[in-house]
Amino acid sequence: MKRSVAGIIAGLTLALIAGLVFWTFARTRSPDLGRTQFAAPASNKAVPAQAASPADDGNWTMPGKDYASTRFSGLTQLNPANVGKLQVAFTFSTGTTEGFEAPPLVVGSTMYVVAPWPNNVFALDLSKPGAPAKWVYEPKPAAAAKGVACCGPVNRGATYSNGRLFLNLLDGNTVAVDAESGKEIWRTRLGDIQKGETMTMAPLVADGKVLVGNSGGEMGVRGWLAALDAGSGKLAWKAYSTGPDTEALIGPDYRAPYPQDQGKDLGVSSWGPEQWKIGGGTVWGWLSYDPELKLVYYGTSNPGPWNADQRPGDNKWTAGVFARDISTGQARWFYQSTPHDLFDHDDINEIILADWPAPNGKRVPALIRPSRNGYFYVQDRRNGRVLAADPYSYINAYKGVDLKSGRLIPVAEKEPKPGRPVRDICPGPPGAKDWNPSAFSPVTGLVYIPHLNICMDMGVKNANYISGTPFVGADVKMYAGPGGNRGVFTAWDPVARRKVFEIKEDLPLWSPALATAGGLVFYGTMDGWFKAVDGKTGRLLWQFKTGSGIIGQPISYRGPDGRQYIAVPSGIGGWAGAIVAADLDERDPTAALGFVNATKDLKKRTTKGGMVYVFALPK
Amino acid sequence: MRRGAVLACALALSGCEGVQNALGGQGAESANFIWLFTLFMAVCTVMYVIIGTGLAVAVWRRRRQALVVDDRRHHETSGKVGPALALWTILIVVGLTALTIASFFTDRSNAAVARDPRIKLTVTANQWWWDVKYTTADASKTVHTANEIHLPVGEAAEVTLKSNDVIHSFWIPNLAGKQDLIPGRTTDAQLLPRKTGLYRGQCAEFCGVDHALMALDITVESKADFQRWYASQLQPAAAPASPEQRTGFAYFTSRECAGCHNISGTPASGQVAPDLSHFASRRSIAAGTLPMNDANLHKWIGDPQGVKPGSHMPTIAMSDADSRALTAYLGSLR
Amino acid sequence: MSSHFQNSLIALAMVAALSGCEREKRQDPHYPIPKTVPTISPDTIFPGNGKLPPLDPRAAAFERNAAAIAEGQRLYNWMNCAGCHFHGGGGMGVALMDGKWRYGGRIDQIAASIMEGRPNGMPSWKNKLTDKQVWQLAAYVRSLSGQVPKDAVGARADELSNTPPQTQTKREPTPSADSAQQ
Repeated sequence: MKRSVAGIIAGLTLALIAGLVFWTFARTRSPDLGRTQFAAPASNKAVPAQAASPADDGNWTMPGKDYASTRFSGLTQLNPANVGKLQVAFTFSTGTTEGFEAPPLVVGSTMYVVAPWPNNVFALDLSKPGAPAKWVYEPKPAAAAKGVACCGPVNRGATYSNGRLFLNLLDGNTVAVDAESGKEIWRTRLGDIQKGETMTMAPLVADGKVLVGNSGGEMGVRGWLAALDAGSGKLAWKAYSTGPDTEALIGPDYRAPYPQDQGKDLGVSSWGPEQWKIGGGTVWGWLSYDPELKLVYYGTSNPGPWNADQRPGDNKWTAGVFARDISTGQARWFYQSTPHDLFDHDDINEIILADWPAPNGKRVPALIRPSRNGYFYVQDRRNGRVLAADPYSYINAYKGVDLKSGRLIPVAEKEPKPGRPVRDICPGPPGAKDWNPSAFSPVTGLVYIPHLNICMDMGVKNANYISGTPFVGADVKMYAGPGGNRGVFTAWDPVARRKVFEIKEDLPLWSPALATAGGLVFYGTMDGWFKAVDGKTGRLLWQFKTGSGIIGQPISYRGPDGRQYIAVPSGIGGWAGAIVAADLDERDPTAALGFVNATKDLKKRTTKGGMVYVFALPK
Repeated sequence: MRRGAVLACALALSGCEGVQNALGGQGAESANFIWLFTLFMAVCTVMYVIIGTGLAVAVWRRRRQALVVDDRRHHETSGKVGPALALWTILIVVGLTALTIASFFTDRSNAAVARDPRIKLTVTANQWWWDVKYTTADASKTVHTANEIHLPVGEAAEVTLKSNDVIHSFWIPNLAGKQDLIPGRTTDAQLLPRKTGLYRGQCAEFCGVDHALMALDITVESKADFQRWYASQLQPAAAPASPEQRTGFAYFTSRECAGCHNISGTPASGQVAPDLSHFASRRSIAAGTLPMNDANLHKWIGDPQGVKPGSHMPTIAMSDADSRALTAYLGSLR
Repeated sequence: MSSHFQNSLIALAMVAALSGCEREKRQDPHYPIPKTVPTISPDTIFPGNGKLPPLDPRAAAFERNAAAIAEGQRLYNWMNCAGCHFHGGGGMGVALMDGKWRYGGRIDQIAASIMEGRPNGMPSWKNKLTDKQVWQLAAYVRSLSGQVPKDAVGARADELSNTPPQTQTKREPTPSADSAQQ
């Protein structure tokens, strides 16, 4: 009797184990590390600023989709019910295998693909099967520019306006290209690679002006934002990020929200003598524009060098957000998110313009932004006042943001000094989130943030300045933060000021996000999985393995046949993917400014590529 | 014999003269030490004389008697020995206590020297030169110089000491004692100069091949003079005036020099070698190796390895015209 | 001791002493010798039975010299080589600790790359460094992939210790010393 009972129990247990094993392996293996849902979104939603986000016309004319940088498509054909049937419609290979960050633009029945160096632009005819190229524009930027581009010879995109495409070339030129013929209309040189200056950002075109900024915060480059006349390419104004008020275009219209950012020539007095000339503050990230207030919003990069001990003072106007009048460039306000930055916490991340319901019930014209230092800021975009600043990631380097004084509160023990390296600093240099922008859906009211969970050890040493060479002075080693996952996809409720759901990813997330009106959110992983998740719960609905890691902006457009298409660039690179794109050696953990230590396994999981994938539902 | 005596005297007295004089006492700390040193010398001399005398007497008396193992007289003299021993013990205890107390109070006095330092500077030692930075609350008023320190008389200065490579030691004999500069650590020294004058500091911890050529020029001056010096240091470097200076400027900013040296207001912003913005206003070249004048400047620029072999400034095979032009330009940077 | 044994002991001691001499010998400080860095070809194809010139023994001496490698280590940080190439792993610049050389991995080819610069972003250091400094840097770069004798390398890095000490760096396999590798 006893033996048979034992035998039954053993058999059932075995069956249970077998069933579990079978069930685990029989499911489609999804590479993420688990999804957590926290709460339902608030019913009182933030909405994109009206004037800055017109209704979707089926095109995608600028990387941020609209001036409010929502990265939101109003097309509804795709939804959680049918996205599982999404399949490849066509593909296009750029022939380049550097980091592929730029979104394809779609205007009417033409798709414009912008490649990283050598910055070729392809116009694809979407009305023909297979989307053959109509023309190719080959600008031939200098190859030597690759030697002074800190984080890959990438390009974050072109902008279409009025029959022209505007883009930056790596070697410091801005060009205007005729969208019909592919002929170059004008080329203006703004950056000098002899000083270590390159240009990688996507221009913003508004009010007849092309706004562009430089790169080179790791090269001792003095940062600026310039406006060129869209017709002729001539310089209209240039606003520096350091130096005297006359050069930073800070004049009588300027009103800082907090006293520490108001004063005379703070861009000189908050540095040691002459240091502002090689101080960084470059403008290599995202610009947003409010057509009603006529203000352009953007952030500035880290101060140089990374060794903060060499540059006493608050180091204005680096690591903060400017609001400038688009016609004159005069500053309206500035808020420094990270004064005297210690950890390369640039502030160039995307700035989403939204109308935000304040706790007292009134709707404030606001800007909402997940910053590199780990805080999700909500600020009044008329005057820069901080209304909320909450951590969306694990932070131990800062205590918080004091809303009364507006100042970030650092943790003194985490400050590295020469001869005194510090370990376990979170977030690491790419921050809680680097350049890869989030998407904001007015349907759910959530901001979808693809970001990082990376901490670092940092040692600093005296950095030598030789123009055209790096000006850093730091040895960094990065690794996964608490939990062991290096990437996180967060859905953040900017009204309730908390996470709604989060998806843990093994690899860092370096791709931007796309949200659609059908309730879907798209993003890509560094090993090439392109995923669609439910915008309300984060549940994985569909995924496709592309040929190379994804770090580029996915877009959605209406094709000539009326179907909704999703396009994504696939080509690993950028700072996070440097170990693959530049074939670095994983035995040196400090390589690529410390990122190699955090991506040691990447070479086994992906290889270089440069392909655009376009998906649609079957006809 | 006579020559030997003269030499001995010269050697003995060389520590007592002028700019690098441990018995100078021109600073609060060194004055305290000299007082303590004198006290110790006095007490110890007295004790030395007593002991010496006692020893001499004992040796002299002992000579007159053969050694007998079993000596009864030994017990007979114990009456004298007992109190003498007691007196001797008391003398030692009192003496040591006095010295200890004196030492303690000197220490306290030294600690009080920089209780409220008006001047704050950071000295970072490198092989084989001194990087000097005056720090203030206003970041844009930092003065960056090399191999020299100016101090206003009568005001306490706190010197933060760091090292970029190996252990060095910061020693200004006229003002204070030695303090090591240790890589990976921060130490500090306090200076309170009491007399104006020119002094010389020296690295006092063997730090490599040019350890002996690593000196510091200290200038203690009135408050007004110090303010004037400080203000002039904050100015950007003088622009080249003559054609020869312009040639020198062009060479400096486009060739090897700018890779290591900084001259404020020019494209040369190197951070690993002495700041040269006001180079010609210093008293010496290469950390006290040569006195500052045009001939020495030319000698240094032409062949640094000949003057200070092993230093990190390379001998560059440059033309005569270039080296004269550089001398002219650098000589103009007051 | 027997005289035989004594003699061999002395001989052994002399050999040991002499072999140590070269690695520790500091070059004459007056050694500016302009234009010693040759414009050696980074290529591997020489038509008509041509070939790469053999390595000058004075150049080879640099990579066996501890003083030169130590100076190279210092210059590598000072001249911001570490800013692009980090501690051999690469970043903006290529990895230097592996066995892949685009423009030749022999010490004179490395010195030429430093002096002349290379397309795709390696700056040219002519007129910015003396020839001796370039040789010292080239010797240090060779040590990053383990090509130099282990008793000549520094046992300690100058910064936060992230890689094993150079005395434990494995020698990367590169083709024989007088050919270059794409």
